[in-house]
Amino acid sequence: MIKKTIEIVNKLGMHARPATMIVKAATKYRSDFRIRKEDMEINGKSIMGVMTLAAEFGSELDLIADGPDEEYLIKEIVELFASKFGED
Amino acid sequence: MKTISVKDFFQNRKKEFSLSLITQPETMNKNIISQYLNRPGLAFAGYFERFAYQRIQILGETEISYLQSLSDEDLFNIVKEVLVYDIPCFIVTKGLSIPQQVEFLANEMNIAILSSRLTTDKLYHSLRKYLGEYFALTKTIHGTLVDVFGVGILLTGKSGIGKSECALDLVERGQRLITDDAVKIIIQDECVMGTSTNDYGHFMEVRGIGLIDVAKMFGIQAVRKQKRIDVQIELMPWKDNMDYERIGLSENYVDVLGIKIPIIYLPVSPGKNVSVIIEVVAMNYIMKLYGYDAAKEYTKKLQQDLQKKAKFRNDSLE
Repeated sequence: MIKKTIEIVNKLGMHARPATMIVKAATKYRSDFRIRKEDMEINGKSIMGVMTLAAEFGSELDLIADGPDEEYLIKEIVELFASKFGED
Repeated sequence: MKTISVKDFFQNRKKEFSLSLITQPETMNKNIISQYLNRPGLAFAGYFERFAYQRIQILGETEISYLQSLSDEDLFNIVKEVLVYDIPCFIVTKGLSIPQQVEFLANEMNIAILSSRLTTDKLYHSLRKYLGEYFALTKTIHGTLVDVFGVGILLTGKSGIGKSECALDLVERGQRLITDDAVKIIIQDECVMGTSTNDYGHFMEVRGIGLIDVAKMFGIQAVRKQKRIDVQIELMPWKDNMDYERIGLSENYVDVLGIKIPIIYLPVSPGKNVSVIIEVVAMNYIMKLYGYDAAKEYTKKLQQDLQKKAKFRNDSLE
């Protein structure tokens, strides 16, 4: 299991389009993927779950992956967040 | 290109348009090649620019009274000039009588003049409708057409994916079947209409059973003859890497004989209740027509929430 903490760097926060991008990226992998924000933890492969976090600009998220390809999953998701989902 | 001979048109549609023949039967040898009609008033007045001679020419009260107002010589000359064009036929409305010379010349030049008892307006509209349907673009596609809450849904997908079973399930839930397996597509007034390719009734093949008669089995309320196609749903086997729509903010379209209709790619897997999803597609379509888009509504709320929280965070830092 790996855990990584990231910050939301795109101004609009994690709205529908970024949430879709994260879910689509995560579902390619076999590992479990969870996202935690404060006391809320959701399944990172579920679109409603990811949107429910309502993660705004500047907030911090814990990305937790568990499974055979966990490193690759985390790597791709971290890159997605860093790329600001092509925004700003 | 589709055509119909004046003779066939006259014989098949005599009743519908209250037609009778004024000229000799031999004059009905031309073909009708256009779905449009023309009022040749300007041509009779001597203006031949853009004269749509290839269409059926309608002679109403105005044209006839104009022709009657001409001197014999003028009438002869102008009618002769008009009849040089390759006109399929004339139709005189309201059962009006035409000047003797016109009938004589039409016989000479081999152009049929029909007479209709309908008024010009009535004939114009019903004839345009008939010709529009006759000359409409058509195509047959592999699929099943159902009416779900009044929304025409075309189910497509590979053989054996479960289109017929799905239609059967929908019929059992009170929806209506138009046709199974082969759908005849007709373009009418910028709409995609679907109907059966034959008039045998509403038969369907169910794997393992054979043919069933849906109208007899489920009753007449379970079927209908034709329906406008509003949405296409492509049933496909579930694939892990396939990019399925998740939120519904973007829409995909397919081109059906030049008309765009929305398409939904629906993954199916054993045990999944496809019928209820198809009903949801239909209801969602109706709600969008009424101006409510759930995907937009949800994402709007989310965006507002995100902005509020970001502002609050920013304020508390300062």
